[in-house]
Amino acid sequence: MKKITLSLAVLFVSLVSMAQKPEFLQTMGETLGQFSTCKNAADFQALGNKFQMIADVEKAEWLPVYYQSYCYIIMSFLEPTDATKKDSYLDVAEKSIAKLIELVPNESEVYALQSFYFIGRLVVNPMERGQEFSGLSGQAVGKSLAIDPANPRAKLLKLQGDIGAAPYMGLDPKSFCPQAKELLANWDNFKPKSSIHPAWGKDQAEGIVKGCQ
Amino acid sequence: MKPIYFYILFSLINLQAFSQTVITGKVTQEQGEALPGANVYLIGTYDGTSGNENGHFILKTKKTGTFDLRVEFMGYEPAVQKLELKGDTIRVNVQLKEAFNQLTAVTITAGTFEAGDKKQAVIITPMDMVTTAGAKGDVYGALQSLPGTTTNGESGRLFVKGGDSEESQTYIDGSLVYVPYNSSAPNLSTRGRFNPFMFKGTIFSTGGYSAEYGQALSSVLLLNTNDMPAEDQLDLSVLSIGTEVAGTKLWKNGAATGSLTYNNLAPYMSMTAQNYNWIHAPESATGALSVRQKTGKTGMFKFYTSFNKDAFTINQENIEPGGSSFDYHLANENYFMNASWNGHLGEKLAMNSAASFTNNYDDIRYDQTTIGKRIIGAHLKNSINYLFTEKFSLKFGGEFFTKTYSQNVIMPTETHDNNFTNNTIAGFTEVQVYASSKFVTRIGARVEYSDYLKSLNLSPRLSTAYKVTENSQFSLAYGWFNQNPVDDYLLYTNRINPERADHYTFSYQSSVNNRTLRIELYYKDYKNLVKTNGGEFYLPTSYTNLGSGYAKGLDLFWRDSKTIKNGDYWISYSYLDTKRDYRNFPETAIPTFASTHNFSVVYKHWLNGLRSLVGANFKYSSPRVYNDPNSPIFNGERMLPYRSLDLSWSFLYRKNIILYGAVTNVMGFKNEFGRRYASTSDVNGTYQSAAIQPSSNRFYVIACFITLTRKGNANQLDKIE
Repeated sequence: MKKITLSLAVLFVSLVSMAQKPEFLQTMGETLGQFSTCKNAADFQALGNKFQMIADVEKAEWLPVYYQSYCYIIMSFLEPTDATKKDSYLDVAEKSIAKLIELVPNESEVYALQSFYFIGRLVVNPMERGQEFSGLSGQAVGKSLAIDPANPRAKLLKLQGDIGAAPYMGLDPKSFCPQAKELLANWDNFKPKSSIHPAWGKDQAEGIVKGCQ
Repeated sequence: MKPIYFYILFSLINLQAFSQTVITGKVTQEQGEALPGANVYLIGTYDGTSGNENGHFILKTKKTGTFDLRVEFMGYEPAVQKLELKGDTIRVNVQLKEAFNQLTAVTITAGTFEAGDKKQAVIITPMDMVTTAGAKGDVYGALQSLPGTTTNGESGRLFVKGGDSEESQTYIDGSLVYVPYNSSAPNLSTRGRFNPFMFKGTIFSTGGYSAEYGQALSSVLLLNTNDMPAEDQLDLSVLSIGTEVAGTKLWKNGAATGSLTYNNLAPYMSMTAQNYNWIHAPESATGALSVRQKTGKTGMFKFYTSFNKDAFTINQENIEPGGSSFDYHLANENYFMNASWNGHLGEKLAMNSAASFTNNYDDIRYDQTTIGKRIIGAHLKNSINYLFTEKFSLKFGGEFFTKTYSQNVIMPTETHDNNFTNNTIAGFTEVQVYASSKFVTRIGARVEYSDYLKSLNLSPRLSTAYKVTENSQFSLAYGWFNQNPVDDYLLYTNRINPERADHYTFSYQSSVNNRTLRIELYYKDYKNLVKTNGGEFYLPTSYTNLGSGYAKGLDLFWRDSKTIKNGDYWISYSYLDTKRDYRNFPETAIPTFASTHNFSVVYKHWLNGLRSLVGANFKYSSPRVYNDPNSPIFNGERMLPYRSLDLSWSFLYRKNIILYGAVTNVMGFKNEFGRRYASTSDVNGTYQSAAIQPSSNRFYVIACFITLTRKGNANQLDKIE
């Protein structure tokens, strides 16, 4: 009897979660689809809002928080001049990343995102923040790659960091081209864990390779 | 029966499926201005939308029943409203209140220059501390490009708003540094003991500071050391005056850095023109160790210890009647230790514990005199900050200072041994209240008791700031500041009381788009200053607290990192009017260390093609006064103005190698800091004198900084001076 109750309970729980997952997956999928139509900061803010809303419903899921944070980092890059605004977008991203590290402390993608966030902070004032935030960004990429050495987004961020620093270091940015080509060639070998897991970055890798020609 | 039942059921489902509620409205801020892009959604559902550029939103939902509608926008407090969804159209206009955020709220700026963290309104960053040409990599040198300071070339110490150098104190991670400067020969410039690269943040307060800080009449310099280093590395620095090797090792949640430094000015001095005859050029060796350990989620333990030994011998002209020149020899040993713990005890409670220990010994020999001076000091402090709400916090704490100073003087005919120990215990409390994000007030008080002086004193403090526009604000500060008299008096008497200065500071600051303007007016009222009444120096009755004085002035600061691409400059101007009657002054007079006009321009430029940061610093101080005992007027002489144009160039040779060169006083301005006089007159009744000059008219330094890491891509960019 006990067994039956237990298995019934298990069945019930899985039924319930099965019942919930499709809506979550579907909404996430739909929302992710809207990335391609985002053109400006307002679009990304609207999208970030949506992920925020999903995160609010699915408190145990890290992906909505991840994408919400990602949207705000992009917004900081899209803001043309106002440093205070850039920082306020990044303040939102910072909070979400802290939440992510608590939710999934061993997720390579989270540290890659964190590295991206640090680059956002750096870009606000490279003269003053260059030293501190390039270090922090490098550290985060290191963590990300330590967890998953194949993570193409971490590799991409590391490469972008190296290329960005090259002129200051007396190096030719093109010396990184072979690495970029290799990254792009192997990009699709990395299979995200699901359809809603992070998959961005290929465009940027393509951009770097294009710049090499 | 059955069909009807089914029919009803079907229609119900139908109704549920096709009834759609439309929620529409506008999101505005309190003043009615539209907030574009607000997030609007039903809590616990996937039904949500964003407002358009006019703040309007339309949310369609098939849900029925009672739901909470949440409206949120970055920087505002979210609003939640209960709605009854019945398939009709609901109009909801939402007003959001601006959220209180300490980071963007008004801050108290009267008297304070804050560096560090990522706030926009900082005036000077830690990077600036080391990239200012002419600072020669010295923390105190860099601060002398800020308004409120007066450059005293024969001292090198900080002189703030008409205050003597002893009136400024330095704290590292919350605890007092008893001996912050290197020992130097009389009338020769000194520099700070600490490497500016150790610090990530600096608060330089030139008046009106918090009740947390006492024992300083004029200013406090609060230095915060770096947190965790990024990776294991080895740094090699080779300079024209010495060399340093430093290694950093990381472990889980902790790190240690050890360094060895050796400086010897002999080769440099033999190649450049010197104004003095050095028998033994300054030579020093330092070993330092710093440890960092994260404790728990928020705690950070820091420990720093160093041992330094230095020595020099300089030949000095003897201006006493019939005297012949003699060698002045100084050997110094300094042991310093500093430890701190910072962290949160729960959500609202933050604690800072700090301790420091100093043992400093100067061995001075000249003519036929030997002087030994030892300072043993310790400081313990604990402070707690309790955040009742975001807008209301209480800080309180206690501290204990102990200092033993002993001096042993051996002369051919006599020997003097003197010493004293003073224990000071202090408590402080302060509340900070934000009436709104535009208006903040901080009220505090401090009580101190000195067991040697048997004196108890109270120091109330008050400061407030009001934000006029998004980018500009006014700030006011008032307070009483007490400090024990200088050691040289306490050696002979404990019948005197602490000295006091009352500060009144008013400042305006405006910061828009990397351009900052700051105007500050201040008045300082000095009382209870120690005066000598002409009696023998070793008699306690020769000292009184009858001295007094004032300082008032205007400080201007302008910084612009925007107008010139890749360029950054700041301009400081200070006007100072001060007089005092203290120490051995026969009457109220302008003190020697004060100059009426101080002007400084710092410029830095990054040359991309050359991978170089070049810097220039021009400084001007109007003539200061000095006393000629041959003249009936006290402090009636004027020295030359101080002028210097300093240049520096840092070149990134390889990714881990930086080459650096700097030269001070490029234009070769003649700088002289008055004259020193014989203590007795010659046969003609004249006091003989000699000019006080800088050690050399110009100072050059060249250096090479190399960083080795496992990954091989770090550098000592932060070492670019």
